[in-house]
Amino acid sequence: MKPAPFEYYAPTSVEEALATLQSLGYDGKVLAGGQSLIPAMNFRMARPAALVDLNKVKELFYIKPTSDGGLAIGTMTRDSVVEKDPLVSERFPIVPYVVKHIAHPQIRNRGTFGGAIAHADPAAQIPALSVALQARFLVRKQGGERWVNAEDFFMGPFMTVLEPEEMLAEVVLPPMAKGSGASYQQVSRQKGGYAQAAVISVVVVDENKRCKDVRVVLFSVGETPILSQTARKILVGNVPTAEAIAEVAEKISKDEVDPGTDIHGTAEYRRHLVKVLVRRGLTEAFERAK
Amino acid sequence: MSIVGESVVRVDAIGKVTGETLYPGDFNLPNQAYMKILFAQHPHAIIKRLDTSKAEQYPGVLAVFTAKDVPNNEYGLIMPDQPVLCGPGSTKPFADRVRFIGDQVALVIAETEQIAAEALKLIEIEYEALPVITDPREAMKADAILMHPDKGSNVFGRYRIRKGDVEKAFQQADVIVEGYYQTPAQEHAYLQPEAGLSFIDEAGRVTIIVGGQWTHEDQEQIAHALALPLDQVRVIYPAIGGAFGGREDMSVQVVLALAAWRLHQRGINRPVKIIWSREESIIGHHKRHPYFIRAKWGAKRDGKVIAAEMEVIADGGAYAYTSTKVLGNATLMCTGPYLIPNVKVDSYAVYTNNLPNGAFRGFGGPQGAFAAEMQMNKLAERLGIDPVEIRMRNLLDEGDLLSVGTPLPPGVSIKKVVEACAKAAGWEKGENGWHRPAGFQVETGNPSLKRGIGFACAFKNVGFSFGAPENCWAIVELHGDAEIEKAVLYHAAAEVGQGSHTVLVQMAAEALGLPMEKVELVAADTAVTKNSGSVSASRMTFMAGNAIRGAAERALEAWKNEERPARAEFQYRPPKTTPYDPETGKSEPNFAYGYVAEAVEVEVDIETGQVRLVKVICADDVGKAVNPQQVQGQVEGAVVQAAGYAILENFIQQDGQVLTKTLSTYLIPTILDIPEKVQSIVLEYADPRGPWGARGMGEMPYLPLAPAVGAAIRNATGRWFDQFPYTPERILSGLEE
Ligand SMILES: Cc1cc2nc3c(=O)[nH]c(=O)nc-3n(C[C@H](O)[C@H](O)[C@H](O)COP(=O)(O)OP(=O)(O)OC[C@H]3O[C@@H](n4cnc5c(N)ncnc54)[C@H](O)[C@@H]3O)c2cc1C
Repeated sequence: MKPAPFEYYAPTSVEEALATLQSLGYDGKVLAGGQSLIPAMNFRMARPAALVDLNKVKELFYIKPTSDGGLAIGTMTRDSVVEKDPLVSERFPIVPYVVKHIAHPQIRNRGTFGGAIAHADPAAQIPALSVALQARFLVRKQGGERWVNAEDFFMGPFMTVLEPEEMLAEVVLPPMAKGSGASYQQVSRQKGGYAQAAVISVVVVDENKRCKDVRVVLFSVGETPILSQTARKILVGNVPTAEAIAEVAEKISKDEVDPGTDIHGTAEYRRHLVKVLVRRGLTEAFERAK
Repeated sequence: MSIVGESVVRVDAIGKVTGETLYPGDFNLPNQAYMKILFAQHPHAIIKRLDTSKAEQYPGVLAVFTAKDVPNNEYGLIMPDQPVLCGPGSTKPFADRVRFIGDQVALVIAETEQIAAEALKLIEIEYEALPVITDPREAMKADAILMHPDKGSNVFGRYRIRKGDVEKAFQQADVIVEGYYQTPAQEHAYLQPEAGLSFIDEAGRVTIIVGGQWTHEDQEQIAHALALPLDQVRVIYPAIGGAFGGREDMSVQVVLALAAWRLHQRGINRPVKIIWSREESIIGHHKRHPYFIRAKWGAKRDGKVIAAEMEVIADGGAYAYTSTKVLGNATLMCTGPYLIPNVKVDSYAVYTNNLPNGAFRGFGGPQGAFAAEMQMNKLAERLGIDPVEIRMRNLLDEGDLLSVGTPLPPGVSIKKVVEACAKAAGWEKGENGWHRPAGFQVETGNPSLKRGIGFACAFKNVGFSFGAPENCWAIVELHGDAEIEKAVLYHAAAEVGQGSHTVLVQMAAEALGLPMEKVELVAADTAVTKNSGSVSASRMTFMAGNAIRGAAERALEAWKNEERPARAEFQYRPPKTTPYDPETGKSEPNFAYGYVAEAVEVEVDIETGQVRLVKVICADDVGKAVNPQQVQGQVEGAVVQAAGYAILENFIQQDGQVLTKTLSTYLIPTILDIPEKVQSIVLEYADPRGPWGARGMGEMPYLPLAPAVGAAIRNATGRWFDQFPYTPERILSGLEE
């Protein structure tokens, strides 16, 4: 199928892009990698009146170290660039590992880090990753900007706090704390396919191997990335024993996720996967924590 | 000179890699119109009213055709039980009803595809729903509604094998194992959905450029439906984007021809083009048959199988397609390549309201082999005999009688094939026969990841079976004066990606003593080539090779006699086969076979239920590898396709509706899902009847994979799974029991 007719703008600067978005209002839509938007338009599930293509806005493509040991990633940075960047793997080894699980190389070559976040697909990796890593998003509009925490950004499936005239400009990852470890676990029917259930676990331990912080983020099993409260309650301040981890896994799978049934698997199966994957993820993350 | 046996570069490689090669969907002619088809969408109903007037009036629509426009409204490869178009006004009884959702009801031909699609929506249609039956076991019952009321029964294929006395033998058996095996449907998922172009050629023939597997059979069926003389219909196959049996029955052929012909009659001389979407392809062509096989085998303590009793039920779907032939194969192969003195088989092909089922790589063999090999592996375990050893004690030798009471044709190599595979997989032969050394088991170091090894073997016929007329033509033309400057081979083989054009040219060059560059191939056009039969049943290399040798020999003779150009044709006819005796099944089923064995290693995640195929060792007796690289490609391709069948693919139909109409819902293996290692062991024990000793081999690597995986999962988890695909949920619920 072909998309419905639309107008097309290709600004070359952020200022120009923001001005265009401002003038278009509800009619405008940002085009990033196009890996989700274009198929949606071809299926006529999306019919934007105008596209504002960011692919010529050079200043949105970057990965910069921040002085505190974190990273700032321009929204248009391609997934494959994030995946292969040495600084990323040095500071956040979990990031390239997770990104590698997104679809196939062709899609990662076009798809963008910020585009995935703005898209807010409940089955997507990068939104969950941003919650797990406590990312902060720089949101800009003509004549203004604001910072939004990843945790507060996702409102529902494909829904975020972004206003039509706003643009996600930058993703900042604060440094990993000392004593932290991370793990990624996912199950999909076909490699490169969307996960049936997945979990990103980031833990921090003290010198006595007690859990100082734990962020377990589940996705593909609810409407948005789900940051587990149970994990915190049970584990923080304690030594993460196998029993404690098993309890967390059990409780999360019972109380905190809401998977659906689809052609690839039943809700019960995906709930079961959550239990297995949380246990595996936490075990691995704590093993890695140092 | 030896060109046969060389991994020469494919004759079609460069065109395909550069994109110059045209596939059916790539052909365009000036002034062409576009066709869209209205599918039934209803699995079982009578069409009470069909009003196309609004569609006809829609601007840009050239014509709308329905059942009343089809001169002879029936077709079918083995029996004409399918209306070309379903609906009122048909020339055939009961053609007013639809029997599956892909039944074709109306054709809209318009200036653009989009206009045709819009006009489709304006066709008014009223259905009277009929009860829907999707389980062949229900459809077999006496009170079940008839899918084809003129036939009197939903059972349209039926075979019996009676050899010896199974009842008595079971009493003498030391052990008896039973199983109820269920095998799934499978979608061919070829790269190129159905497409084609039809027009009236310069000689006034209704001509279609299309993808198929047998030009002359398509031609015959089109001529029948259009009530035209055969020579008024011309079928041309260009490069074809995969087939795997899925193009053996027709999809767009008849309706394309019908559209161009009827337009022409109305004085509209415009070519007609159609390209199916993936969804149309998935509902529009047949699938691999789901089978239900009940098995009971008895053996002596020494492992000798003395009795096998089988009930084999095939879901034929809405129309016959090749079901009865597929069932014939499954009936023969469900007791494996083993010498079993007492055999009783009852088999049935049954109509339902599912998509029609038909040819798919292996053609009943995979379903039969699944039951046979699961049984053999269970027996081995029950008796404490190694799975390779128990096979060695039962495998057929030269002269041994099959279940149908006759021996295999000469060149029986199955024991050597099993041995080669077993050795490569770590088996050794000791004092007590074959065994896998202790400690061979692979450990993963992770308690939830269990590895297991499984073994299975099979035999696959080459060529048409059970008395079906079997022959193949080739024409060779030699040009030049003092020396042969150029040879032209005319042959109707369909190049479906398997590489047949390359091996045809190789064999012609070899037979003529010419370099390959001097051999030109004119292929697959009924106007210039003679009937070569289908690319199916692993037959084309075998049949064409023999035909080409004959034609080459005669052409060389004519050349010697100074004919210029020297032209000769030859029809190869293999030894005759015979059909099943209706009471005993006694028959001479086939004139040639290939033999195969596989050892596989799987890893099962016992917590998530995921099965990963780690390694496959596949030994195949191909007789002679005409092109070894292509042979390896066929082995690897078959293994990957069979891995999809066994583990990943999951074709779901519910109440006659297909829930997996796209490749995002029907998942097939990608490069990331295939086994880490496929080791092919190519054995060359000549078939005395094969050209240069070659056997057919395109299907056989497919056959043993699913049961080998089943055995490996048992080895890994301690459980037998008699039903596949081995989806995570099936594995998990099995492990929980
Ligand atoms: C076959 C296939 C498989 C896939 N598999 C996966 C997978 O397994 N996991 C996964 O996570 N994803 C998967 N994807 C999606 C892919 O990762 C998308 O590229 C990604 O989710 C969106 O990024 P994009 O840059 O392509 O965004 P686009 O498609 O260009 O845009 C997506 C949406 O975000 C908005 N948007 C983009 N950038 C901004 C911005 N800076 N400010 C405001 N709004 C913005 C757009 O307006 C649009 O609504 C798959 C895609 C395909 C085609």
